[in-house]
Order: sequence, then structure tokens, then C-alpha cells
Amino acid sequence: MEELDVVGQVIAGKVASIFIREKSDKSIELGDLLVAGQDNHDYLLLQVFNLVYGSQIPQLSRELSAGLKLEGYGGNLDFVDPKLRNYVLAEVKAVARVSEAGVRTPKVLPSFFASVRHIKKEDLGFLEKPPHPVFFGHVRSGSKILDVGVYLDGEEMFTHHVFIPATTGRGKSNLVKVILWSVMGESNFGILVLDPHDEYYGRNSKGLKDHPDAKGHLRYYSAKPFPGTSTLVVNLKSILPWHLDGIVDFTEAQQDAIQLSYDKHRDDDGEWISGIVTGEELTGVSPRTLSVLQRKFKTIFGLYRDNMGTVLCRNNAFSVSAGESTISEIVQALEGGKVVVIDTSRLTDRAELLIGSIVINELLSRYGNYKAEGTLEEKPVVSIVVEEAPRVLGIDVLEKEGSNAYSTVAREGRKFKIGLMAISQLTSVIPTTILTNMNTKIILGNEMATERHAIINSTAQDLTEDERSIASLDKGEAIVSSIFTKFAVPIQIPLFEEYINTKKSNDKFTSSKEDKLLFR
Amino acid sequence: MIVVNTFAHIADVHLGENHNPAIKKLEIETFSKTLDICIERKVDFILICGDLFHVPIPDLGVVKEAVTKMRKVKELGIPIYAIYGSHDYTPIGTSIIDLIESSGVLVKIARGRVDDDKLKLDFVQDEKTRAKLVGINARKMGQENKYYEILDRESLEQEEGFKIFAFHSGLDEFKPYPLRSMETVAISLFPKDFDYYAGGHIHERSENSLPGYEKVVFPGPLTGYGRDLEDTSKGEKRGFYIVNFTDKLESVEFVEIKPVESIYYEYDPTGKSSVQVQTELKDNLAQLDVAGKIIVLKVSGELSGGKISDIGFPILVEELRQRGAIDIHLKKHGLKSKEYTAIATVGEESTAIESRIFKENIGEVKVSVEALQNESGLRISNELLEILRVGKQENETKESYERRLREHALEVLRAKKVIDG
Repeated sequence: MEELDVVGQVIAGKVASIFIREKSDKSIELGDLLVAGQDNHDYLLLQVFNLVYGSQIPQLSRELSAGLKLEGYGGNLDFVDPKLRNYVLAEVKAVARVSEAGVRTPKVLPSFFASVRHIKKEDLGFLEKPPHPVFFGHVRSGSKILDVGVYLDGEEMFTHHVFIPATTGRGKSNLVKVILWSVMGESNFGILVLDPHDEYYGRNSKGLKDHPDAKGHLRYYSAKPFPGTSTLVVNLKSILPWHLDGIVDFTEAQQDAIQLSYDKHRDDDGEWISGIVTGEELTGVSPRTLSVLQRKFKTIFGLYRDNMGTVLCRNNAFSVSAGESTISEIVQALEGGKVVVIDTSRLTDRAELLIGSIVINELLSRYGNYKAEGTLEEKPVVSIVVEEAPRVLGIDVLEKEGSNAYSTVAREGRKFKIGLMAISQLTSVIPTTILTNMNTKIILGNEMATERHAIINSTAQDLTEDERSIASLDKGEAIVSSIFTKFAVPIQIPLFEEYINTKKSNDKFTSSKEDKLLFR
Repeated sequence: MIVVNTFAHIADVHLGENHNPAIKKLEIETFSKTLDICIERKVDFILICGDLFHVPIPDLGVVKEAVTKMRKVKELGIPIYAIYGSHDYTPIGTSIIDLIESSGVLVKIARGRVDDDKLKLDFVQDEKTRAKLVGINARKMGQENKYYEILDRESLEQEEGFKIFAFHSGLDEFKPYPLRSMETVAISLFPKDFDYYAGGHIHERSENSLPGYEKVVFPGPLTGYGRDLEDTSKGEKRGFYIVNFTDKLESVEFVEIKPVESIYYEYDPTGKSSVQVQTELKDNLAQLDVAGKIIVLKVSGELSGGKISDIGFPILVEELRQRGAIDIHLKKHGLKSKEYTAIATVGEESTAIESRIFKENIGEVKVSVEALQNESGLRISNELLEILRVGKQENETKESYERRLREHALEVLRAKKVIDG
């Protein structure tokens, strides 16, 4: 190790708590990645999780010295050899051992008194770009950004689910946009984004629509579509009773009524919802139950009957005539490896989740068939991005309303190449069984201790010592903990607007002779 | 006094689709009857939203009869407006629609030019009603989508008056489920707030509405004698729309056209031998009153024994013909035999079988062009096959037939960026 590079020296400690004395003219930051080892082919990566002062001078003497200075008794008073006597101790843990044998979990301490230096780009040569890369950001050492991109293989990552715990204002939307942008243009992943804030497409700012491959790889559905994008309208025939499982809380009597209506209309294209909304009588169902059901369909999905007896939808998201192929088109696009963004900003929570539930059910059915016929391997991985995940994965929701399409994906989706990308401010309300199934976590700053504990308790790597680091993560800073990374990688997520390459599509229209003939 | 104007909205006539002379005659008679109704109902004009003929250069006998009838309509002071349908389109530039227009029988309403990467359309105003019509012609396989993408919507939206937008494309939002794989256009590419959106191309009747697009109508095929025969014989109504308007839309009325009866007969032979099936089918068909009717006979299921060829379908069909059936459509794609699976076909439709065979074999074809591989390669294969489906027409020479195939194929390959140009 070059003398100039040295920032400190190992002086004490134990596994997961190694003390390094900082060199006086160097600066070690919380979260810094350091390297210990003489040999470039065998070294330990260390990460700083705490900083404390160290001094050779007893505390009473230091207090007295400070008092003298503060109270004006000795303006020029100083310690003899202050750089030697007072210093900073960095508490670090070894996060990886890099050797010719590969990158492994460290099982040794660095040599006693070993010199340490800041990490360099070359030390992370093992962070290779995988075959189906998903980009998150660049490796961050403290607040320093290294020119090393952090990628995971989407084929593995998406099927093993992704969890993004983030409180407001920590850059969650920016992160998701960066991830989606990085996979657009690849045909290996189909990603469904339920977008309750209409923030990903880029209605009023830069967004996925600006991607050079957007034309062929992005579908956007909105009640207020952009020219060229599709209207979000789902035909009532697409909704089957089990799509509502766990999405809406129905009593047993209401569930029976739904089943009766469905059975009654099974042969007429499943107009069972219209039957309920129009107040059709059902044998054995009390008028009160029907009336409550009608009210629920009205308040939750905006469905009502007009004076002519026609079923209408207040927000136009559901229709008795339009949107017959919407779900099929969405699923087809996902199967084609496209990103599908559904603007649900004009829908109620439940209506948004219902649309996701319909798509997921159709996907599970199709991918189940592909698996049965042995063609699943040819299909792209599909990931479902759902915000405010506790709405469908929360302990109380699952206990009260039973499982739903989203929890089914969380539990069983992997075997069908379908995964969840769940985003949540709250981690503690999600069952541990589901959290531990989320094998990649991208942890953004979080000021709530209970939430940090819940996150740390379910990560792929032991982050017990990183609570302080998580609390101190600035906007755009994150830690990627995954079963597919060798250690929990601190990253800096680029600002979307700076990250995107705004080169325009080459599909400029040039009129041909035929075009002239067509409009003469 | 407010004057109520009227126009007829017709689409997908597909004259010349059938080679059976009886059906061919029926097609032209139905078209003629439709125009008679338009005269009776005193419509102010007629709008044909594409696919008047089944091929761009159809049998001249069919053309002559159609033009003669349309000329009479025109002479009665009823203008006929039209756009190209996907079947009318020809890459060589001149289809029969152009020839008919040049004879003054109809007026094409897709007029405009591409300026600064924008397609600027010009309205055609109907002299009598002052209705303003504008439209976009179709091309093969939804390739007209690019015109919608560059359409100058704003100028069209700003125009005052009663406005009709004519198109011959499927729409994402109103695509019937059975057509879910069809290439369609998002309605958001259409100019907003027209009084009436007159559609063609989708062979299923529907009246639709979305905010900004209050009346979007597809009349479906006029006759439904071709590929739609199964649905027609199952009771799907065929016809056209009569639309009443003042300075705004007043009402729309579907007018059913049914010049001939059709019968749909479905038979499931599962668990029976070919001999049993032949006897049973013969007896069952004998019960039907088939004289003067079109018969759709669908046999789908799995024979317990014997060959499919033992059933003697040609004899059954001939018997129906002798009893006066105008035409018999036998659908037995879904028929299999347990003993002779090797010769059985799997899949409901021939297109499904073709797609499956392409899919099974595309991996065997080693090509370096990415667009010709996997799903993209499958789509292109299917599109090229579609071109081959339109066989040599009676009035085509071998050279012109080959040229048409070549040009259509090159157009597909260009559109899919397999080749430049």
C-alpha cells in the first residue's frame, strides 16, 4: 500500500467491530469503504459504521484544557504533539474478503496494525455487469461517489422480489424511475407499474416517455391519456369474483351474493357486476345485502346505474362496453418485455388494487400454463411495482381480508417468474414471512427507529451495526442488500434528469410517394 | 325550423370476397339493397368507411355492378364519400377506389399532405348538409398508425360545424376480446370532440363512447358472408347505420340487412366412431330445412375410432347442396381421431395451426437479423403469410400478381425494419 494512500491503521477490535485510528490529515466518513491488506489479490473490504474520538490524554485534563481556553486563561494553550495524542477512531466491520478464490464473507480479521486506505475503483472489479443488468446507481463510499455502477441481474432479482422501504422525500420515485429506465429497451423484463401519483411516465416533466426506446417498450394507460397512449378502461367482463379477494372486505352474506350473481350470469359473458349494480334480485339474498353491495360497488369502484338502467362508472375506469381487450393487451405487453405504466391517480385505492389484481390473476394463469407446457423459460420475467405495499401486504389486511393476488405473488410468484417490487414507508406492518421473501432491499433514509429495526431484521446481510448509517442516509443515498450481492452495497442513485440520455428516437417521419398517394 | 339531416354509415362490404357465384351474387344484391334503403330513407349522403371491395383490383364484373348502382344513387343527388380500407389499399398507388372516384361516382375524404412532419388533413364539406368530413385511409396490417401519430389534431379540433371523422382501424379501447391480438390505434391519437367517429375494419358492430369521443361507431361487415359467416349464422346482426343530425348528433339507428337465412349447426362427435358420426350427421342434417339458406356446419371433438376421412363429408355437403342449400361452410379444424392422431389437426382455426407451426420451427431457421428471430420473426412470418393468402385474382396477370406479392412483402419487411427504405 502506498504511504500516501494510507488513511488509518487497525489498532483493536473484534469481528464486526474493528477499530481503526484515523491518520491526522485524512478524513474517514461514516459509511466509508476501506481496504485492508497488502496484497492486491487478497484484501478485506471494511465499512465504517461509527466514529469516535480517541485521546492519550485523560478526560479530566482535556476538560480542564478546554475550560482554560474557553474562559480566556490561555489563548495559546495547546497539547504537545496534538496529532499524536488526539485522533479519531473509526469503528468498522469487514464486509467482504476479495481474493483469487473470489469474493467471500470475511471470516478473518485484518492483520493487526494493518494499514487501511480508501477504496478505489479497481478494488471493486468483481462488481461486474450481469447479463440482464438492472442499474441502481454508483458505489458510494461515505459521501464519495465511485465510478462503479451497481447492477443486479434482473432475471434473478425481479423473481426474488424487491422491497424499497422509504419515507417521503428520500428519492424513492427517482430510484424507481432510474430502475425502469435502465431496463427499458431490454425485452427480458415485463414490468407493471401501478402509479398512484402519475409520476413515472412524465406527464409534466422528464419521465419514461423520454426513453429512446419508449415507442416500442413502454405502454401507458391513463384515464387522461396522452396522444398515442391508451385510455385506462377495463371492461366489467374482465372482473371475476376472485379478483376481489383480499381487495375488498365482504361479509360472508355479500360473498354468497356475489357468487350467486356470478353463477347466474356465467353464460352471458359474466355480466354479474351489472346484475348487482342494477339491483337485480337474487334468490335467497336479502334486499339489504344487495343494497350494501350496490353501495360498495358505487363507492369503491364508482359503478352506478343511470336513469336508463345502464351501468356507468364515475371515473370511466370500468365500462360495460369498452375495454374488452385492455387486460389482455397489458398482459401481452408484459409478456413482450415491456414496461406498462398504469396511471391510477384518478382511481380509489381499491380500484387501483383491483386492476392490478386482474392483471396478476391473468398473468399467473398464463404463466402457469407456460410452466405446464414447458415454455416458461422462453418468457420474460415479470415484476409488479406496487406502492404503499401494506395496502395488500400489511399484517392487518392479510388477517382481516385474507390473501390477495399480491400476497400470492409474494409467496408463490417466483416459481412462475413473477415478482413484486413493493414500495413502503412502513416495514414493520409487513409480515416477516413476506419480508424475508423479498430478497433484494434497497434501503433509503429512514428516520423512524422501529422501521429501521424492521428493515435490518429482514435483510440478506447482517446490518445490525448499520442502523446509524441508515438513519443518516441523505436523499439519493441508499444501501442495496440482496442475496445477489456479496455485501450490502452503499450506493448513490443518480438524479433521474441527469441520468437519462435524452437522445431522441430515430423514428422521424419521412413521407414517401405512397403517403402522398394516400392523401391526394 | 330545425332541419334534421341524415347520412348512412357503411363499412366492410368486401364485395368479391366469395368465389361461389351464388354468394357473389348475394353480396352485390345486399349492397344494392342497402343503397335502396338509403334512397328510401332519403339520406343526404352515404359514407363508406373502407373495404368496399375485398381486393384492390377486384373482378371487373363485380365492380361494374357496384358502380352502376352507386351511379344511380349519385344521380339521385346522394353523394357517396369513402376512405380506403385495408383491403382497398395498394402500394402501387391506384386502387379501384381511385378509378371509381375519377369517374365521379364517389368522393374520397382522406385529403391532405405531410408538412413539417405533420399530417394536415383537409375537410370535405357536404354541400347540402354542410357536414364536414375528414378521414384517414387504411393501409395493410395497421400500418396507417404512423399517420395518426403525425396527425395535426389541433387544426381539426378547431374547425367549427358538424364534424365526422372516418377511419378504418381497430381502436385499443374498443377492441373486441376475440381480436385482442390485432394491431390497433389508441383513440387518444384521434382529434377530440368530433360529432361522430365513423369506423370500419372491426367486423363486430358496436357503439362506443369515451370522454372527448362521444360517439364512436363500428357498423361491422355489411353482409358477414365471408370470414364472419359463423357469427352471422349464430345470429349476429349485419347491416349499417343511419345517423340523424342537425348542428349536433341527434340519433343513430342500426338498420339490419338480412337477404338470406343461414343456419349454424354444431356437432360434437366425441366418443363416437366415424361410421356412427356419418350416420348421425346424415340423419340430423336431414331434419334441417336448408333450401335457400347458407349452412355453417362445425364438427369439433375426438372420434373414438375410425378415420376422419371415413365420415364422407363431401357426400354430406353434396346432399345439402342438392336439397337447395346456397352454400355450405364445413369447419372441421377441431376434429381429431384417437386412432389416427397423426393426421389430426389441433387448434380451432387454421391461423392458430399456422402460428403454432411457425413457433415450433422458427428456432430451426438460422438468421442473423434479430427482427427475424423469436416473437418478432413469428409476427413477420404471419404477416407475410397474410399477403400470400390473397391469391391471384381473375383479372391479374402472373407478372402483376407476383409484383403485388413482392411489393406487399417488401412493405412489411421495410415496416419491420428488416430492410431499409
